[in-house]
Amino acid sequence: MELLDSYLRAVRRYLPRSQRDDIVAELRDELHQQIDTRQEELGRPLRDTEEMKLLKDYGDPMTVARRYRQNDRSLTIGWELIGPELFPMYLIILGLNLSLALGFTVLIFLYLRQPLGLWVLFRTGLIQVLVVTLTFTILNLIRRKYPQPWYYPPAELATMIPIAPWCSISGICIWSVFSLWWTLVPVYPNLLFGSAANSLALAPAWHRFFWPILLLLAAGIAQRSVNLARPKWSSLLPISRLVINAVALGLQYPMIKSFPYVLVAGAAPDAAHAKQIADAFNGTILWGVLSWMWIYHLISVAIYAWYSAPHLRRWLQRRHQAIRMTQEINGVL
Amino acid sequence: MRHTVYLVHYMSNGTQNGAEVFENLRLELRRGCLTLAVLTQLRTERYGYTLRKALADDGLEIDEGTLYPLLRRLESQGLLVSQWREEDKRNKRFYRLSEMGTTVLQQLLYEWGRINSSLERILQEA
Repeated sequence: MELLDSYLRAVRRYLPRSQRDDIVAELRDELHQQIDTRQEELGRPLRDTEEMKLLKDYGDPMTVARRYRQNDRSLTIGWELIGPELFPMYLIILGLNLSLALGFTVLIFLYLRQPLGLWVLFRTGLIQVLVVTLTFTILNLIRRKYPQPWYYPPAELATMIPIAPWCSISGICIWSVFSLWWTLVPVYPNLLFGSAANSLALAPAWHRFFWPILLLLAAGIAQRSVNLARPKWSSLLPISRLVINAVALGLQYPMIKSFPYVLVAGAAPDAAHAKQIADAFNGTILWGVLSWMWIYHLISVAIYAWYSAPHLRRWLQRRHQAIRMTQEINGVL
Repeated sequence: MRHTVYLVHYMSNGTQNGAEVFENLRLELRRGCLTLAVLTQLRTERYGYTLRKALADDGLEIDEGTLYPLLRRLESQGLLVSQWREEDKRNKRFYRLSEMGTTVLQQLLYEWGRINSSLERILQEA
C-alpha cells in the first residue's frame, strides 16, 4: 500500500484544510475497495504497475482535490487566473512576500535615514502583487495543461520509474563540456583567466583538488551513460549521486581551507594590477562558489538519501525473501 | 481557393461547437438527475462504493470524482447525514437521507414527475 499512501498524500496537499482527514479517509476506503475488486477479478494481488495504473485512472491528485473545492475562492478575471486549489497557497505566498518586502523597505530606509514616502511602499507592494500573481497564473496554466504526475514526490515509486533518456543525455552534454574545460584549464589557463593569463597562475590548491574533482565529474558522466543504455537501472542514479555529493561535501572543508586558489605569476608585467585581479578571482571562487557549494551538496545528499531509501528497502525485502526461501528449501530437503 | 478554406474552417468549427454544446447540455441535464438518483438511493443507508455500484446496476454510471464531492455538498446542505462505522475490518462512511432530505426528496420527485409528464405531452404534440 506504499503507492496508495503516496497518492493520498499528494491529494491531501490540495484539499481544504478542515476536511483533509475526512476526505482522505473516504478516498482511502474507496480505493481499497477498487483494489480488492480488481484483485478478486484477477485472483491474485495487484502488481505495483497495476496499482499504479488504477491510481492514475482515478485522476491526478490536483484534479481529484479540485472536485472538493468547486465552491472555494479563486482569482478569475474573465478566465481563471488562479484556480481554487492553488488560491490558498497564493494568498500565503503573497502575504509572506508583501510582509517581507515592505518590512525590508522600511528597515533599509530607516538605516539610510532617507524619507520614506507612501509611493515607495505602494510601488514595492504592487511589484510583489504582480510578480506573485503572474507566477501563480503561469503555474495554474501549466497545471491545467499538464496535470501533475501523482508520483510526486517520487521516492516511493523511484524503483519503478525508468530514467528518462533526455535526462541522461542533457547531463552527459553539460558535464562533458564542464569536464573538458576543467581538464584543459591547467594546460590553457586563459580558459579561466582570459586576457589576464600572463599575469596569473593556478595555486597549488588547484592541482591538489584537480583529480578528485575530475573523478567526481567522470563518475557523474558514467552514471548518466549507464542509465542512457539501461534506463531501468533506476537505483543507480540516487545511490551514485548520494556518494558523489557526499564525497564532494567532504572535499568542501579542505578546499575552503586551501585559500588562495589563484596567485600572481612570477613574470607578471604589472604585479600590483595582477594582485587586484587575483584577489577578485579568489574572492569570486571563495564567496561566489565555495561558500554556498557546501549547502548545495548537503541538500543534494539529503535528497538523494531520501530517493535511495526505497531502493534499499526493496533490496532488503528481496534479500529477506531469498533467505526465507532458502531456509524453506533446506527444511524440505 | 480562399473561399473554400474559409468554408472548411467554418464547418469544422461549427461541428466542434455543436459537440461541445451538446456535451455541456448533457452534463447539465445529468447533474440534476444524479442528485435526484443519489437522494433516492440513500433512502437506504449506504457507503460510497455500494452507492456507486447500486447506481451503476440501475444504468446510471457515476465516477467517484463526481460522487464523493456531491455527497459532501448534499451533506453540507443538510440533505444527508453520515456516520463513520467499521465494516469488513475497514472504516467506512455511511450516508443516508436526513429528515430534511426526505422532505426535499419528496418535493423533488413531485417536481420531476410534473416536468416528465409535461415533457411527454410536448413530445407527443411534436
